[in-house]
Amino acid sequence: MAKAVGIDLGTTNSVVAAISDGQPWVIPDDNGEAILPSCVGLGADGKLLVGQEGIRQYAAAPERTIKSIKRQMGTNHKTNLGDREYLPQEISAIILRSLKQRAEKALGEEVTQAVITVPALFTDAQRQATKEAGEIAGFEVLQVINEPTAAALTYDFRNEETERVLVYDLGGGTFDVSIVEITGDITEVLASHGNNRLGGDDFDRRLQLHLIELFYQKHQVAVPEDAAIQARLLRAAEQVKIDLSQHAFTAVREPFLVSQKKKALHLEADLSRETLETLLKPLLMETLSAIDRALADASMQAKDLDRVILVGGSTRIPLVQSMVSEHLGQAPVAGVEPDLCVALGAAIQAGVLSGESIDAILVDVIPHSLGISAVADTVFGPRPGMFSVIIPRNSVIPISRSEAYSTTFDGQDTVEVNIYQGENAIARENVPLGSFLIENLPQRPAGDLKIEVHFDFDHNGILAVTATEQGQGQQNSLIVENAATSRLSSQDLKQSRAEIDSLFEVDGDLEDDEDQDMELDEDVEEEKDAEI
Amino acid sequence: MSENHALLGITPSANPAEIKAAYHAKLKEFPAHKYPQEFKAIRSAYETLQKDSQQTNEDFFEISPATVKLDQQALQGLRDRVASKLAVSLEELICLTF
Repeated sequence: MAKAVGIDLGTTNSVVAAISDGQPWVIPDDNGEAILPSCVGLGADGKLLVGQEGIRQYAAAPERTIKSIKRQMGTNHKTNLGDREYLPQEISAIILRSLKQRAEKALGEEVTQAVITVPALFTDAQRQATKEAGEIAGFEVLQVINEPTAAALTYDFRNEETERVLVYDLGGGTFDVSIVEITGDITEVLASHGNNRLGGDDFDRRLQLHLIELFYQKHQVAVPEDAAIQARLLRAAEQVKIDLSQHAFTAVREPFLVSQKKKALHLEADLSRETLETLLKPLLMETLSAIDRALADASMQAKDLDRVILVGGSTRIPLVQSMVSEHLGQAPVAGVEPDLCVALGAAIQAGVLSGESIDAILVDVIPHSLGISAVADTVFGPRPGMFSVIIPRNSVIPISRSEAYSTTFDGQDTVEVNIYQGENAIARENVPLGSFLIENLPQRPAGDLKIEVHFDFDHNGILAVTATEQGQGQQNSLIVENAATSRLSSQDLKQSRAEIDSLFEVDGDLEDDEDQDMELDEDVEEEKDAEI
Repeated sequence: MSENHALLGITPSANPAEIKAAYHAKLKEFPAHKYPQEFKAIRSAYETLQKDSQQTNEDFFEISPATVKLDQQALQGLRDRVASKLAVSLEELICLTF
């Protein structure tokens, strides 16, 4: 039987894990590295560079190197690489394809199924793009699960008493907080909250601006907007952040950063941890209010928590640890490795779904409210375009809910159902998911026709909406698989998969010691052709 | 009400801890990815029962207004006395007025 793996597809780093003898383990690369930097580049010779190789050329060739593609997931943002434009899910697919190859080599068998993790707060479009990335890479995506939930699955102090755990997950690009109740092998998520655009990348950028400022103070010369110079500064900023997480002081030395009238100007500065903390504190304050909202959604207070777990590379920053423990009145526990536990949890779920004998039951929640636009009573009287929530956020999934609505004017023969996702009371301020009409309704006075709107949200995050006129039974429905953005047709998907496969094959040809990989690639190819 | 109890396989007298234990046992029997319909029914039964038990707890702890049992005989006597007084006072009132 083919193996299923769990993949943490991160903003800065990605990890793949598998189950052997009922235990999850992280699959390292040939050099023993567990982590694959989420970086894709093309070398000067057109060779595909994934991971560390990509990072290595970043400061020298930022225009041929793509980092943090996860931030673009779910958009139509096109990235140029070589002579082709790529969608975010295609770049992500290259990373996933590389991890697939790594897993197949290590396990010595074909790997066709995967569970991939996403931040809890990812929208429908972002989840869909992640699923597509998996499919382009040649996986059957068993499930897309939330990162903090996956981390909670690896929690190893399990006993029959119920424990309430807060998972604080601050990664390279996203922040999530989840309140989880663990009873034996049952993991139930009570509430999730977070920010899809907050993480280590933002800290690096904040520090980069500070370095630019320091350079200007010293030389009275602005750092030019040159991509290569900025890339050097960004790399230096990241190193400062890492150094200051371990030491109280560090020095930055970037010689020959800028040349001014034949004179070379260097960036030389000493930075203290205190400076870093002053810069990061405003960004981190937001995570504390997210904690409060998640606690409120779970009807809990900080004192009700039995444990606090930190996940994600950015939680290595001492300020993060001190702010969280001060806010919650308890120190976080040092659990599983913060960089690896998400992938390990994904592997556990992959094992459960692919029928391995693992006792783990996961009950997760929907991160955003779902509903439709409707006329609703407000303090100013009835208003159209208000957001009528049908499935409130933090409801357990899968879930089905119905709500009854009535016509608003005499003789109304058409009803438009506009579906949204979000928390704003004004419908159009939320994320639109799609819309449809129910037509040819019988002529009746206002309020006489009753329309039942039924939402069905499955465990893969796919929403099906059905609206039924209750008298004569006119019906229409829509499956939101995400509609509005960048969905690839199956034809496009197949083509994209073939192109990315060919990139890997060129790559394989150039390396003599990868014969085994080549064989596996061909096997996968045949398998796919048979499938289609 | 009793349908929800039946779904979780418990009696209506089950306490919150028993309701939760029964829900967990059902989760193991019907995991969401294999039995979505059953899972949804179990979940909704659990949520309803949880809400109900919270309700009764709240009622239990709420300070109830003081209640007094009235002695019906004494009350009747009081009524009669007031009525006779009222009749008399009416006649007197007329006398007094004119």
